This record gives sequence, structure tokens and C-alpha cells, in this order.
Amino acid sequence: MSDNVLEIRNLVKDYPGVRAVNDVSFDIKRNTVHCLVGENGAGKSTLIKILTGAVERTSGVVLLNGKPYCTSSPKEAKEKGISTLFQELNVVDQLTVEENLTLGVEDTLFGFLRKTNKIVKIVEVLRSLEPSIDPHQSVSMLSVAQKQIVEIAKAVASDADIIIMDEPTAAISEAEITKLFQIIKGLREKNVTVIYISHRLDEIFTLGDYVTVMRDGKHIETKPISDIKDRSELCRLMIGKTVFECYASPQDVSSETILEVNNLTNHKLKNISFKVNKGEIAGFYGLVGAGKTELAQAIYGIEPYEGEILFNGAKLIPSPSKAIEAGIALVPEERRSQGLFTILTIRTNVPVMNMKKISRSGIINSAKERIVAQEYVDKLNIGTNGTEKEVSKLSGGNQQKVVFSKCLFADADLLMLDEPTRGIDVGAKSEIYSIIRQLSQEGKSIMIFSSELPEIMNMCDYIYLLYDGKMKASLKNNCDINSEMIIRIVTGGE
Amino acid sequence: MQNNSTHKIYSGKMSNETFINLFMVVVLAVLFIGASLVVPNFFSMKIVVNLITNYWFVILIGIGVTFLLTTGHFDMSVGGIIAMTGVLSVYFCQSSTGSMPLSTGLGLPYGVAIVLALLCAVGIGAVNAFFIAKLKVASIIITLGTMSLARGIAQIVTLGAQRNTSLPEIYGVIGNASIPGTVVKVSVLIMAAFVILAAFVEKKTVFGRRTYLIGANPQAAKLSGVKVSKHVAILYLISALLAGVTGLLLASEYKAGLSNRATGYEFDALVITLLGGTSILGGFGSVVGTVIGALILCVVTSAATGLLLSPDMQFIIKGIVTFLAILAQRMALEKRKG
Repeated sequence: MSDNVLEIRNLVKDYPGVRAVNDVSFDIKRNTVHCLVGENGAGKSTLIKILTGAVERTSGVVLLNGKPYCTSSPKEAKEKGISTLFQELNVVDQLTVEENLTLGVEDTLFGFLRKTNKIVKIVEVLRSLEPSIDPHQSVSMLSVAQKQIVEIAKAVASDADIIIMDEPTAAISEAEITKLFQIIKGLREKNVTVIYISHRLDEIFTLGDYVTVMRDGKHIETKPISDIKDRSELCRLMIGKTVFECYASPQDVSSETILEVNNLTNHKLKNISFKVNKGEIAGFYGLVGAGKTELAQAIYGIEPYEGEILFNGAKLIPSPSKAIEAGIALVPEERRSQGLFTILTIRTNVPVMNMKKISRSGIINSAKERIVAQEYVDKLNIGTNGTEKEVSKLSGGNQQKVVFSKCLFADADLLMLDEPTRGIDVGAKSEIYSIIRQLSQEGKSIMIFSSELPEIMNMCDYIYLLYDGKMKASLKNNCDINSEMIIRIVTGGE
Repeated sequence: MQNNSTHKIYSGKMSNETFINLFMVVVLAVLFIGASLVVPNFFSMKIVVNLITNYWFVILIGIGVTFLLTTGHFDMSVGGIIAMTGVLSVYFCQSSTGSMPLSTGLGLPYGVAIVLALLCAVGIGAVNAFFIAKLKVASIIITLGTMSLARGIAQIVTLGAQRNTSLPEIYGVIGNASIPGTVVKVSVLIMAAFVILAAFVEKKTVFGRRTYLIGANPQAAKLSGVKVSKHVAILYLISALLAGVTGLLLASEYKAGLSNRATGYEFDALVITLLGGTSILGGFGSVVGTVIGALILCVVTSAATGLLLSPDMQFIIKGIVTFLAILAQRMALEKRKG
């Protein structure tokens, strides 16, 4: 048998307007822990989704144990030897550990369950991994890490060649991480290869045998971890030689404070304080799970919090409708599920955040509504043949422009943009950037929450770095800013 | 792909709603012509007028059901509310000196009795609103519960039968009045007025627009500043009020409060709403469509009666019509997309 358990050759996945995986080829050696790293949008998730059958590849070949591998569902992938430990765990809380382990593989006689050797064998696998878990215990009593171990045991018992782990440490404690790592390291004796995805770079150095770096959908490098000098070398590979057009913020930024956040704390955020001035573009950078979205949502009044948020000097009442009235608008992270009414037309979508402007005593002025919608289609250059088109039929970039139209029509003084350019093509991206610049020149304050460093560095006057719900640093953007230092801070380094 | 020089308003294609409404009008016409050819004596002006006038109550409750379904919520309590409001209004109005339990009421003045009965109807709506809008429980469960609750009240007050004695003259006036010189009942006029008002609210007001927004995407609606819970709560109150008005008019027409009045009307209201093209997923629908849906259901059931089918067949016919209507709509919209 060949040395490689998985060989990926020229794998491509196209989404409308975006090539998410671009001609990726690399090998994964048998019985190793193979780490997969890259910034958001680098193509890791899409690659994994192809392996688990959640999305279909556009072209390319994957060989599992030397044989062509193709799957259309996670279940089929599992049967063929690739199991996945998803962030959303796949265990049934109401059942016992043993019942969970044997779910779907039970032997029956006339419809009754039989306790066969197979079950004994599966339970044995769990015992060899983690003797402290009692098979007769209810799964609801287990911690997240213990549930993960149950899932790993199930995958091992089903003779998986590969177990994919997607950020398994995101929700578990330090002590449990150590335990989990021991188990992961022990898996090679059981003839299992692990593909490990994490944003925490120190984990990669502790755990990995090999690392593959992806960037902008492309494969950058695959090498043994021992060949990588330190964290900064890995960072450099991840961000690459991105050319930052040096952005120095204008000197004449007003010093009038529009938003003041004091000691904001909730289930995710820890004691966050900062100020945003009028006309300023403030960037909030951090990896997935750092608390960017939670921060935006707390200010907008969707997530509960303790602490104080002052807007234009007055305490903000936590509710989206009050925030909009006060002069705040949010471009949410998920445009289709949170930002748009996709089954309705552009005309209907544009004015929703400020219906007063197109109505009088509750009655809509249809002529005005059409004119307004057309105005924004022209102003933001929305690619459509008219305002009566349903938003679902627009491309991602044009949909995002509709979300922007909504927020602009609300006449907000502060715009919060959560991942404003996620999943849209390069052309639309630069159009959105120029819209943001123009808004700031008009005196609007803007907060950008992004996991794309170039976006933050090219756009923002101030940069705030978040890690694990904490504000780690705040920097004024200028030409001397050090991107490696930023990466180090947001991955948990000092 | 872009053409900024022409400020042309996109108008080459009609909206999906217009399309569905026209489609259902064609279905109605085909059914009507078919019935006229096959069923003896079906085609007459009297039938045409009867179609609308005999079905006014389902259309009236259908208005509330349509608005709610457009936001993605069900209201199965309307039939129960009709019975409850009718029974209570009779009970409040009956003289307090009757000889039998069922002929003795509270003896309240007519106006007070009406207002109180309507308040009780709105009270049921408030229960719906509390559980569905505030506690976010599935609407079908809660409104089935309030359906049972409202009908249960009607049962208790009538001891499982009806109240029809010791009523003041004025009680029977409005339900039996017709427009002078015609056979059209005032109830039909009231229904028509509500339909016109509802169609206006739906298409021309901010309130109507918010109804669509909530149905299309409740989360985006909330993030866009729409007070979703409050809006849904108001719709449940309105739906209960319309059912209450219907209950009063029906009780007045028969000068009686029956505990089993309007059994199954909640289903009829849902069927005509679906026939009229309102999407069960929310975000799409119209009151005009619901009226067309009511006419279709009328034609089918009257044709069945005309063919001397047993009235017991009506339920099966309604079931089949529902399935066919939904299939036809699905196919028409799919074809349009592709």
C-alpha cells in the first residue's frame, strides 16, 4: 500500500463569481496528524466540504488509498473511510454512551437488539481511548470534550482511515485540550490519519506532523512541522506577501466622539472599552470566534450585555429598532439570512429600515418608493435590469450592495459592517471599498468587523485586535504597521 | 449588463402575485364553465350571486388568516371564536328573568353585550399573541389549543346545545338586514368593506409591508428595525376580532348562539387562503387571492351538490381541491422560475 492515504490532484471548486478552491494538489501521509491552516476564505472549509460530500467539486481528482474517491454525503464519506468531527457534535444526548456508539450499526434479531461481539468491540475501542467514560452513562452527562472522544471512538471502530477535526478545541477547556491531544496522538497506533483544522497556531506546533497552508483558494505549501521555524514563519505563509497599499489616516479626523463603549461584558466578550470618533473608520480584527460579530450585535442590541454603550452621549437602549432610530445601521455577517428579504424585490428591500421617508401617516408613496430604489440602483451601480427584480436572483456582490442601500437609506451616522466583503468577487469588493471611503468622507463613522487583514489594513484609521472575546490591542494605522505582529496577537501570542 | 442612461422601471414581467392571481382566476373560470356544462341548472345568475353571498363568513375570517399566513403563522382558532362570540353575545343579551337555565342571560343592553362579546374574542386573540409572539411557541399548536378553549366556553355557556330564547328584537336585525331593493345581505357588505380595506392595508401601507417582510425573513426584519413580536401580536388580535364580528353576524342571522357553529371553518379559511396562492412559508400572498380561492371552493362544492353527490362527500372534495390547488401553484411557479 502506498505511503499516502489521501492524494488530492488539481482540485477546483467554483462558486458563482468566486473560485473557492483553485487547482489544489497535495498528499496526506498515512497515520499522521496533518494540519490545515489559512485565513478565512482561504478555501479550507470548501476543501473539507468536498471531502465530506457536503459540496460537489467542479473538477479534479481525489485518491483515497490509491483509489478514486467521490462522495455525495457525509454518511457515504464515512462508509468509504472518511469520518468528520464537526463542531456541531453528532451525538444523541438522551441515549447512553453505548447506545450512541452502536447507533446505526446495531445487530437485530426479528427487530430486537442483540448484544453481539461487534458491540463489545466498539465499547473496547472507547475503553482503550478513554477508560474513564462509563459506557452505560447518559451522554447528556458528558462534557463537550468527552462527547468528542465518544465520536472519535465511533469513527475508529468503523475502521475510518481519516478523521477530519474542524476546530475541535473551540469549545473546550485547557485541561480537556491536553487530554484530547493525547488521544489524537494515540490515533496513529490505531491506523488512523487525522486532518486537523485550527486557527490556534500553537496547537499546530504541539500536535501536527505535517502542515498544509492555503491562501486565496490556492495551495501554498505542505511540509513537515519540524521544517517550520516558528509561528511567524507560519503566519507569513498564511498571509503571504500581500501588498498593503500603505494607508495613512488623514490628520484632520474630528475628535468628536460618536460611540463610547465602556466595560462591555457578556457570554463572549470580556471587558471591552473603546471610542469611535466622527468620520472615523475603525477596524475590528480577529479570527473566527474572537468575538467580532458578538461585539457588533451587542452594540446593535441583539445580544445582551453588561456595561455601558453611549451613542452621541446618550445611553443606547438595546434593541435594533432603537439603534436605527438613534442613527446606527448594521450590515450583518450573513447577508442572505440576516440582511435581505431575498424573495422580495429590490424596490421592497431598499427602504425597509426607514419607511417613514417613503410614507405619510403609514401610507406608502409608491412613486417615491420606485424612484428611491432606482436612485440606489444607479448610485451603487447594482447590476440588475430593474428595481422589480427579486433579490435572490442577483449575484453576491449585488446582493451586498442592496444591503448597503438599506443601511444608507436609514441615514445612519454610524455604520457597522460585519464581514462586508465576504464571498463576493474582486470587482464588487473594490466598489464596496470606495463606497465605504466616500461615506467616511461624508462624515459618517464606520466600524468594520472583518477577518481579512488586508481589508482592515487598507481601510481603517484605527485597528482593534480581538482574541477570545478580549480587546488585545488598539493601533493607529500607518505605514509602519507590522502585519506579523498583528497576526501574532490575534492568534493568542504576546 | 449595466445601463445607467435609461431610468426605465422594470416592467416587462408581471409580479409572481399577479401571475398567481390570474392563474387562479383562469382555474375558477374553467371550473365554472365546466360545472355549467356538466351540472344541470348550474349556470344561472342566482348561482353566481349565491356563490359570494353564501360564503361571506369564510372570506371574512380568511382575511385575518391570510395576513397571518403571510407572516408564516397559522390561526386555527377562528372557528372556535365564532361559536364563542355568538354564544356569549346571546348570553349577555338574554333577559335575566328567564324560566329555564338556557333562556336566562345577563340582561345587558344590546350594545354592551356586543362590545363585551367582541372583547372576549380579542381575549382569545391575546392568548394566541402571548404564546406565539412573546413565547415563540409554534402557532399551529397554540391556536389549536385556543380553538378548543373558545369552543369549550361556548359548550359550557350553552350546556352543549344552544341559546335562542328571551332575546330582544334588535338582536336579529343586522344579520337579517339586506341592502334595500336587493337580496344582498348587510353581512356581505361588511365582508366586502373589510376585503377592500384589507387589500388597501396589504398593498399600500407600512403595516402591510411589514407583514410581508416578517414572512419573507423574520430575522432580517428584526435587524431592519421591524418590531416582529408586536406586529404578529397585533395580527392575532385583528384575526380574533374579525372572527368575533363574524360570530356576531351569524348569531344575529339565526337569532341563536350555537355551541357547534362554525365547526371546521378554520380549515375552510385555511383552504381558501392556500387556494388563493398565499405561501405556507410566508412572505407571499394576497387577500384578493383568498377571495378567488373562496369562489373556487364554492364552485366545486356547489357543483358537487348539483350532481346530487351526498353532502358527506364535501369533506373529501375539499381535501382533494386543496391538494390539487397546491400542486397547480407549485407547478406554475416552478415553470415560471425555470
